[in-house]
Amino acid sequence: MSPALVVVTLAAGGVAAVARYLLSVATARVSKAESFPWAVLIVNVVGSGLGGVVLGLARHAALSPDIQLIVLTGVCGGLTTFSTFSVETIQLLTHGRWRAACLSVGLNLVVGIGACTAGYLLAA
Amino acid sequence: MSQLFAVLVGGILGTGIRLGVDTLLPHGADDLPLGTLIINVLGSFLLGLIVARFWSAAPLWLKAGLGTGLLGSFTTFSALMVSAVALTGSGLWLLAAVYLVLSLVLGFGAAAIGLRVGRVSTPIDWVDE
Repeated sequence: MSPALVVVTLAAGGVAAVARYLLSVATARVSKAESFPWAVLIVNVVGSGLGGVVLGLARHAALSPDIQLIVLTGVCGGLTTFSTFSVETIQLLTHGRWRAACLSVGLNLVVGIGACTAGYLLAA
Repeated sequence: MSQLFAVLVGGILGTGIRLGVDTLLPHGADDLPLGTLIINVLGSFLLGLIVARFWSAAPLWLKAGLGTGLLGSFTTFSALMVSAVALTGSGLWLLAAVYLVLSLVLGFGAAAIGLRVGRVSTPIDWVDE
């Protein structure tokens, strides 16, 4: 792993985090605050779909290991998040909003796996 | 603007630490991705802890930098999905299911414990302050 590759991967992760932040600010303006964790759902689904595309292309060696690292670890890893997903789910539960919590977890898992599988099948 | 910069710096650091853990704990295509599991459980605990402990008094740039930037980028959802799909593609359905369930149960549990611990440890009220 060359220093230049590490720098590009970390920069990609930083820019992807900014994209996630801007989306969370935008969704907070559109929907009522604390109504439903839309921002996390959107970034997790988009990142999982992109990750699936990389996985599919990699199976056919259509992507260099360097590009795989930059997109998977940098872009997808920086864009998606598990910590915000888990903490927001527990916060919904502690506020008695178990339906929103279950819907959020279900949608992240089902649509996330769906997007990842679709990306993989399209690229493979 | 300071929030955007804090998220950028936090995102770079979080991605860097995750890359470091991935490098220290590499996993083959047909193994349980232990590194990602540890990252997601640890990140969930730490975020719960600092949200409960500091969020009410923290400035916006610090919340954005530490929460959204550092811990948001340290943890990952896409790696979880990619590994689950890759394991399933190799016919390892049971391992994929175990990995998903472990990630959710341990991750949510860690977030709940973090939120709980952060709330309990209130600052000491010094008598002579």
